[in-house]
Amino acid sequence: MNMPVLGRTMLALSLSAALFVPAVAHAETLSIWARASSSNAAQHMIDLWNASHEDKIELTTIPDNQMVTKLATSVQAGDVPDLISFDLIFMPDFMKAGFLTDLTDTLGADPNQAKVAQAFRDLASYDGKLYGTGFTPDVSILLYNKGLFTQAGLDPESPPKTVAELEKFAMQIKEKVPGAYGYYFSGSCGGCNIFTQAPMMWASGATLLPTSGDAPAMDGTGVKEVLTMLRNLWTAGAIPESAEADTGANFQATFETGTVGMQGSGGFAIAALKANHPEIDFGIAPLPGVNEGDASSFVGGDVIAVPKGSKNAAKAIEFIQWQLTDEAQLNALAKNLILPSRSDLADNEYFKAEPRYITTAKAVGIGKTPYAFKFNDMVNADQSPWLTMLQTAVFDGDIDGAIEAARETMRGIAAQ
Amino acid sequence: MTALAEGAVAPKVKVKAYVARTAGESRGLGYLIGAICVFLIVVMMAPIVLSFIASIKPSAEARVSPPEYLPRALSLENYLKVYEYQAGLLSYLGNSMLVAALTILLCLLLAVPAGYGLARFKMPFKEVWFIILLAPLMIPYQALLTPLYLTFSKWGLANSHIGLAMVHTILQLPFSIYLMRNSFEAIPKEVEEASRVDGASSFQALISIFLPLVVPGVVTVALFAFIASWNEFLSALIFMNKESSFTVPIMLVSVRAGRLGAVDWGALQAGVILSILPCVLIYILLQKYYVAGFLNGAVK
Repeated sequence: MNMPVLGRTMLALSLSAALFVPAVAHAETLSIWARASSSNAAQHMIDLWNASHEDKIELTTIPDNQMVTKLATSVQAGDVPDLISFDLIFMPDFMKAGFLTDLTDTLGADPNQAKVAQAFRDLASYDGKLYGTGFTPDVSILLYNKGLFTQAGLDPESPPKTVAELEKFAMQIKEKVPGAYGYYFSGSCGGCNIFTQAPMMWASGATLLPTSGDAPAMDGTGVKEVLTMLRNLWTAGAIPESAEADTGANFQATFETGTVGMQGSGGFAIAALKANHPEIDFGIAPLPGVNEGDASSFVGGDVIAVPKGSKNAAKAIEFIQWQLTDEAQLNALAKNLILPSRSDLADNEYFKAEPRYITTAKAVGIGKTPYAFKFNDMVNADQSPWLTMLQTAVFDGDIDGAIEAARETMRGIAAQ
Repeated sequence: MTALAEGAVAPKVKVKAYVARTAGESRGLGYLIGAICVFLIVVMMAPIVLSFIASIKPSAEARVSPPEYLPRALSLENYLKVYEYQAGLLSYLGNSMLVAALTILLCLLLAVPAGYGLARFKMPFKEVWFIILLAPLMIPYQALLTPLYLTFSKWGLANSHIGLAMVHTILQLPFSIYLMRNSFEAIPKEVEEASRVDGASSFQALISIFLPLVVPGVVTVALFAFIASWNEFLSALIFMNKESSFTVPIMLVSVRAGRLGAVDWGALQAGVILSILPCVLIYILLQKYYVAGFLNGAVK
């Protein structure tokens, strides 16, 4: 008996829906894919846009290590999202493969683009054309435990300024504080170490990843200096034994135990530590080089680009340009304590209350990102020459042999 | 599998226990068997229990390295994170359930007639056809995904639940046909002949005579199809393009992700516990058919 009533209600509802649709049809829903670990930052930006624009953006989170597979298959099938946010390190490979839309005439002409951190502008250019820009940046820094510094008789306001000093401080913490370690790194994670150890190497002028088969690779004294420092710390027991097997899963967790003096980490660690471990008094410093004043950093995080075949390319570009405006950079990123892509906004009102963010934001200015094809094969893969070099040098002790082997394998990969 | 093994061992143990009792040693042997059983249960349950304990710790405590076994404080924070992650747990659960149900349906619709045909009909080169049907088991399925995706995308089946269920069916079909063929072959010829004498067509014989006899096989196929579809990650990721159509395994990989591969252990364990539940429920619901099928063979 209720059925006819229900049927009529449904009909009425669908008719009203049909009448309603044309009224809002001009507003588009754009899709964006972002890798899982940066989706939180991306969501802030998307929420701000959705709150003030008629066209809406819908976020889809892709697991970090599947982004390359996912984008490659989607581009082949012509079934792509309107926007994509991914690890900036893959930019050269994606541009070369022709996956992305050329934004030279639109984004390239935007005055805000000129203010984006140099590392992002470099990485998003290929063959004189621009294919994307910074979206949710991050940067590597040295994280240190001020409490352990004090206990070891070190000045908590003077973090190490050179690689040698880092080694000295780490040894001192190990010796003076029972149960504590001087330094930590994830020994089975290529990505973690290119982010945190490599800047110490290139701060002293080293060239790490080759761009062709005969280009310099693992070249410069910094490489050996840093590996020797790590080897010394490892043999002295100043690095926890669990470091050897850590694939990155405990990249953040180990420092959070409060037993590690120093660790190369990222700007993201500040918010995480403040939220989860208010009891740890920590400091942030630039990653040191061999000589004083050589500090450097790895500019990481995500770029944003428009995949080839995007059905709403014009609106997608509008979003990219909007996210570079002062309003978006400050209210969506800085306000949520995320680094802005634009270097000129590093010193903003939100960071003033937390000086540690200023150090991080400044690191973006001195930092760089290696421009390399096949980065995944050279660095991130489980058996990559970069990781093998680090493991052989630090855990087995053959530093020269490890550097030589990595150099040859990397050149082989670059020549392919 | 464990249930099967226990089912098989149980009758023998009873006989031995009876013999032992007459010799006056029953208590000692009983305790020994009990101890072995308890030990096995502890070993099998430990990962699930530890996982559960880790899931009810506050997030910061679950991340402690080296990990601690017992929680210092209890919290539902991890479950809440999984529940609220992106599109929401209910959306992922709904998608997974729908795809798994469609996969079971498609698997049964194809595997039951195929198994019946291969077991009961004479046809030229039957074994060759059978081997061809099983051959996909030998190809790593990752290799099939890209061509399948490109084809499905052209046909408008990408990013649809039925499309993903078809992929899961393709992956599951060889094993299902193999299983159904064995089930049909186990039925005595006389039963088929009797149905013929009574004038039943092949189709009638399948529906009225054979199907009730192969229920355990059907249940097994359904169970395996469910578990395979429920846990499948890679094709679900490749074939689905929207957060609102993703299945549980994709959410589980994303929800635990931190920077540079750092793992949110609390969220991971909460996700593990939540994703185990439906599998356990289905198994408990279907296990009597599953074990009954095994014992049927033993009695004959």
